[in-house]
Amino acid sequence: MDSTIYSSVFDLGMSESHKPHPTPKKYVQIAILLGVLTAIEVALYYTESIVGIFTDPLLMVLAVTKFVIVVGWFMHLKFENKLINRFFTGGMILALFLFSIVMMERASANLF
Amino acid sequence: MSDHDYPHEPTGVETRKLGMWIFLSTEILFFGTLITTYLIFKGRTFDGIKLEEVYDIPFTSVSSFVLLMSSLTMVLAHNAIEKSDQERANIWLLATASLGAVFLAGQIYEFTEFYHKGFTLTVNIYGSTFYVLTGFHGAHVFIGVVLLVILWGVGKRQEGLSLDGGMNLEFIALYWHFVDIVWIVLFTVVYLI
Repeated sequence: MDSTIYSSVFDLGMSESHKPHPTPKKYVQIAILLGVLTAIEVALYYTESIVGIFTDPLLMVLAVTKFVIVVGWFMHLKFENKLINRFFTGGMILALFLFSIVMMERASANLF
Repeated sequence: MSDHDYPHEPTGVETRKLGMWIFLSTEILFFGTLITTYLIFKGRTFDGIKLEEVYDIPFTSVSSFVLLMSSLTMVLAHNAIEKSDQERANIWLLATASLGAVFLAGQIYEFTEFYHKGFTLTVNIYGSTFYVLTGFHGAHVFIGVVLLVILWGVGKRQEGLSLDGGMNLEFIALYWHFVDIVWIVLFTVVYLI
């Protein structure tokens, strides 16, 4: 099959214009941000008695933020073809689906 | 044409690169399964010493920072090779491999300390899930360090590194960043929560 037809049929984003990758200066700024977020995580761990029930949700938000930053900018997923985005997101959704099912089973005490 | 567009490929993406991303997707499921198994047993009461009694958050925080910074040096190596700057790419590759080795040394030290304090692989099922999860991550880091050293060796040869060859810097960079994002999740799930 002609590649142009194939792409248009499956909407693979072949013709989309890609943004240029960040500059080294931008990468360093991103790394500093990641370092700061890690420092906040550790600070939250030590201030759990003050932050209380918000500690765990905040830690999860920080971890997800760091994850998205590394995948988006360092792995260049933000600048990649839609097909690659779909494969990676698909893996994430499947893993979260599996996680949710097992945790629901655990909560309802059907496991172990 | 952008370096991302491959009109000769039916998908518009370089097949090897697509294969690498599919491999990483399967790795997400692999680690997702291990993390889920670990969380099933986290917080339950077992005989023997608990992880919370032996771990050292400041030490692991520094290890996490080291691995995060190795992602920076990796992306700088990739940036250098995009500009055909072989010398700089080789320096950043060596820095990445070194930071990865420091992280691994830290993990070996940490495991040894845990073992001496009684938190062993067989202390209880929670201990087993902890070592399987973090041990598999460590094995991935080790493979990454080996690949980086091989890549650095290729870069020292006359023909140098490129983004087209079989030993492709971009694919190893993707693998390395993946190892980093897995640790981002593990650091929070295993140590902080």
